[in-house]
Amino acid sequence: MAIRGESNATPATDVGASSSSRMPWRVAEVTTVIEETPRVRTLVLRVPDWPGHMAGQHVDVRLTGEDGYQAQRSYSIASAPEASRVMLTIERLEDGEVSPYLAAEVRAGDRFELRGPIGRYFVWTAAVGGPLFLIAGGSGIVPLMAMLRHRAAIKSTVPAYFLYSSRTVEDIIYRGELDRLAALRDGLTIYHTFTRQQPEGWTGGARRIDRAMLADACPPRERPRIFICGPTSLVETAAALLLDLGHERGLIKTERFGPTGTMT
Amino acid sequence: MTTDHESDSAPPLDGNAVGGLLRELFVLDITAATLTCGGCGITALVGDVRVFGGPMGAIFRCVHCDTAVMRVVHTPTGLWFDMRGARNLHVTPHA
Amino acid sequence: MAAIMTVPPVSRGFRGRTRSGDASNRLPPGQHVTTDFPVLSAGPTPQPHLETWRLSLHHGDSMLAEWSWKEFEALPQSVVTVDIHCVTSWSKLGTTWQGVTIDALLEAAGLSDPPAPFVLIHCDGGYTTNLPAEDVLGGKAMVATRYDEEQLAPEHGGPARLLVPHLYFWKSAKWARRLQFIEDDEPGFWESLGYHMYGDPWREQRYSGD
Repeated sequence: MAIRGESNATPATDVGASSSSRMPWRVAEVTTVIEETPRVRTLVLRVPDWPGHMAGQHVDVRLTGEDGYQAQRSYSIASAPEASRVMLTIERLEDGEVSPYLAAEVRAGDRFELRGPIGRYFVWTAAVGGPLFLIAGGSGIVPLMAMLRHRAAIKSTVPAYFLYSSRTVEDIIYRGELDRLAALRDGLTIYHTFTRQQPEGWTGGARRIDRAMLADACPPRERPRIFICGPTSLVETAAALLLDLGHERGLIKTERFGPTGTMT
Repeated sequence: MTTDHESDSAPPLDGNAVGGLLRELFVLDITAATLTCGGCGITALVGDVRVFGGPMGAIFRCVHCDTAVMRVVHTPTGLWFDMRGARNLHVTPHA
Repeated sequence: MAAIMTVPPVSRGFRGRTRSGDASNRLPPGQHVTTDFPVLSAGPTPQPHLETWRLSLHHGDSMLAEWSWKEFEALPQSVVTVDIHCVTSWSKLGTTWQGVTIDALLEAAGLSDPPAPFVLIHCDGGYTTNLPAEDVLGGKAMVATRYDEEQLAPEHGGPARLLVPHLYFWKSAKWARRLQFIEDDEPGFWESLGYHMYGDPWREQRYSGD
């Protein structure tokens, strides 16, 4: 899904763009940049002819440098389908090639190519049903936030449990909004756990997501639709523990952050 | 999802992560489609299938027996696709 | 439908990783130097047991010779320092490998010439790659077991991989097990998916038709 190095020196050919079944590259323009945490920013985008999306889907982003060098990465869509703009939330990774650009350099007016929405596998709609059991680590929250925003927008009261692992309280992405969503008392329960440093007086989770935490958050007898997103190790550990607790494999969907570099 | 972590080692991705590439070839999104492995007969959602080979290509392998059930390579002059390792693919139309 | 050549918009201020061009006459076209050693695998890393590991030479369907790990390690060893070039555009300069040249393998098998004009390399996990026989002879290739003076790590092809540095690195097949000499050239794993049959980095033969 994302190339690691340049594909080749020549720009990509685009054979025929008018078929409705094709998913063309579109030119997105940044309209606003929102600082979420010191390392995480949300880009609000204007995307011409955006066909709409479902909560949980992602886009491929392609950057072209002055010398024609191209790099491509995938990012989850942070905004709800109901939002008027497409939003991406991006964490700046130390050794990243693209994220230092998108999460630090980019400013309003900048443009890059984008295609999507992609993926019906990791999607929640009201038709999927509930309860909803969401598990995220760090910037894995992004597609799950789109789901929570969608759930709020359609005023769903399907029970939802969100287990969110962050390093410290300052690293919680969308912190204020999560508090507001929980305060709606519409069936959403949020559990935070901090792996590096807990806030003053914190009595909640103070360790990595483990079996006990998953068991407490939502029991298998509720048959929740489960979505897990985050670093590979968190996702694989959580998925294995959930199966061990008795959750059905078919109800568990995972999305991992991988290193870059598959075709294209 | 973000996919900007670079390292020496490339742990496998999955069919969901390469959804954009699949959309270059398939009219429908097949990440939620069911694929039957030609090697062991076990079915899986394409989104759950492990994908190797990046950045040379996308090699989809059955989680149970490692058979390459689908292979896709994007070259400057077109896409190459091979599905000999799969028995079948079942796609339901978009809702 | 006519092909439309679109020129993608340049993203202001985007620069990829610094790509050094200094070793310019050591670098084939379109390559850049890397200091790390990226791992690219078409499948999961096999974990063979050395007690059952075998390397064999074949001509068509006949096996000509086979070596156990002990026997293979007892063959004449060579050490080379070479540049390697991956089709994904990274190059690594001055890499040191130890192993057994294909010339030494043929000699150990009692052959003075390759039995057929092409060779197909078969590997654990089912990976294959094809080469003209003359491209693995004359000191141009070895079965390598050590990289940088250490046992070759599994993710880099250990215990033994082919090393053919004058061609793109996908031809240096990891987890090599059988060298099968064949009469007619036959595309291997990547070659049957659009990659070039030969793969000369100096002529930038990345994909079929290049």
